[in-house]
Amino acid sequence: MAKEKIVAVTACPTGIAHTYMAAEKLEKAGKKLGVKVIVETNGSIGVENKLKSKDIEEAVAVIIGADARVDMKRFDGKPLKEVSVSHAIKNAETLVQDALDGKFDPYKAKE
Amino acid sequence: MKISELLTEDLIILEASAKDKDSIIKEMADVLNKAGKIENEEKFLEAINEREGLGSTGVGYGIAIPHAKTKAVISPALAFAKSKEGIEYESLDGEKADIFFMIAAPEGGENLHLQTLAKLSRKLIDDDFRESIRKTETKESLMKVLSKID
Repeated sequence: MAKEKIVAVTACPTGIAHTYMAAEKLEKAGKKLGVKVIVETNGSIGVENKLKSKDIEEAVAVIIGADARVDMKRFDGKPLKEVSVSHAIKNAETLVQDALDGKFDPYKAKE
Repeated sequence: MKISELLTEDLIILEASAKDKDSIIKEMADVLNKAGKIENEEKFLEAINEREGLGSTGVGYGIAIPHAKTKAVISPALAFAKSKEGIEYESLDGEKADIFFMIAAPEGGENLHLQTLAKLSRKLIDDDFRESIRKTETKESLMKVLSKID
């Protein structure tokens, strides 16, 4: 069986530091828990590592760690958890574990 | 862009004298101002404090990264400070911060410095990297540790 996959997006107001710390934490948490975490960063450099629709489709869950606006429509129907970027830095491992345990509710895109 | 192009030796404070959050921010901004990196220190401080107001940049593990992207900055720069006793910084984990990186980014222009800062931010999650920063006692050894991110 292929390794499970989680997708995530991180963003912060200035987009200089926290976006990348949160990304690194989530990727590391994934490594530790044996799941591939693909993180898109919405920083002041712009969007990097933009999530492919195939990855979103295959992901078991979505984690959004952001204090800035993120394009959310693409996650319609996916189990998703939205937290602040600081929360994502602090609780990356819990988030990834909860994602794997199926603790997130499906996201309903707003119009 | 190499980290040494952003963080020059005159921007390193090995033993900060500040004892609280406001004064460490001021102490570091002074260093940036003295080095000619910022045009208007007051405006720069405003931008830094505005960002802090959105949530402390004390990210835990003893690290704080006050930062601002503002017109008050002439050229991108990074200041470093270390505090022996640690400073109350309203950090995420409630612990004191003892390692500080202050990021001064100008508005617009090239983004090369942002990539370097992104790499630094990612690396700061690494326990060993933080410990080796804590252990450095000279500017040279600090630069050697930081050059690992290049």
